[in-house]
Amino acid sequence: MQKGGSNHTLSHWFPAFFIKGVRDSLGLPAWVVGASLVGVGPLAQSAGYSIDLAIASTLLVWAGPAQVLFFSGISAGMALPALAFVIGLSSMRFLPMTMALIPLLPMKDHSLPVQLTIGHMASVTVWAESLRRLPSIDERHRVSYYLGFGAGCIGLSMISTGLGFMLSSAVPQAFGAGLLFLTPIFFTCSIAAGARNAADWLAIASGLFLEPVLSAWMGPEFDLLILGLVGGTAAYLLKRRLKPHQGLFSS
Amino acid sequence: MMTLPMGIEHFLTMLLVAALPTGIWRIGAVFLARRLSNQSEVFEWVRFVATALLAGVVAKLLANPSGVLALAPLWGRMGAITLGFIAFMLCKRSVFVGVIVGEVIVITSVYMTAP
Repeated sequence: MQKGGSNHTLSHWFPAFFIKGVRDSLGLPAWVVGASLVGVGPLAQSAGYSIDLAIASTLLVWAGPAQVLFFSGISAGMALPALAFVIGLSSMRFLPMTMALIPLLPMKDHSLPVQLTIGHMASVTVWAESLRRLPSIDERHRVSYYLGFGAGCIGLSMISTGLGFMLSSAVPQAFGAGLLFLTPIFFTCSIAAGARNAADWLAIASGLFLEPVLSAWMGPEFDLLILGLVGGTAAYLLKRRLKPHQGLFSS
Repeated sequence: MMTLPMGIEHFLTMLLVAALPTGIWRIGAVFLARRLSNQSEVFEWVRFVATALLAGVVAKLLANPSGVLALAPLWGRMGAITLGFIAFMLCKRSVFVGVIVGEVIVITSVYMTAP
């Protein structure tokens, strides 16, 4: 193994850790995100899209709720600019999520295409699992591990989207409901698994319990944005009270 | 006006209407983060914002279920998330146990309310 110093991208590339990432993803996370994307197949079919485009949507969009919105919106004959706007709002979570990942990954050692690939792979599953797993991995191995983990999740999900497309009429409805429930239960467990202190729990609880209030009060468009800012800032301030020597603007 | 083959038209629609509005946030995050030091407190704040947002997405998915999840009654969805979470905490935060318990309850609730 090489040690430090070199700026070559290759010296920051560790195939063994890529493989380890793939294998860890196949432990459970890739199966869960894969199962949650089975439901995209039948939706794509009823929108009149082909199986390869259903599979391509998992690779290129890589966001279950956005894919569900897209194919349902196309089926319902929604105007495309309006649909794009709704999908853009629903995907806003990726901005803070992806940003929060970056300090864990030594991005500056990698080229822009690799950095953008890292950003593209950030889904809830990959994000929550990375926040939990990356800190225990040696810093220079993290990008290889992360890329393997993401590739495992995306690869298995592409297969499951295709299977869902082919089997769309064969899935019993109760089982279909179970597949769609995977997303909320797995999101909840994933973020709670990484919670370490009262501030983390405050962020989770504010999201769960304020959402119904805010959505009733301000409608379904911008409620999540306000919720994230209010709940997240409250949790951050609590964290600062717990650790008073740190501040947003003082280093 | 030029007409495109159906497959290409669908592909471009998916790219512009679904992939771009989603990817733009991820690309934006990479460029924003390049301007910050890894030690910046902004990352800490942003992680809390993301956590609250995600929990909000969960509440939204359960309160306004899409597709066949709407077949599960409200008590089934809420019971499944609550008991799944409790099982998860009791079993040393085992995601596997939480998912299984939640799934069993939500699927049972669909069968119990089926006509």
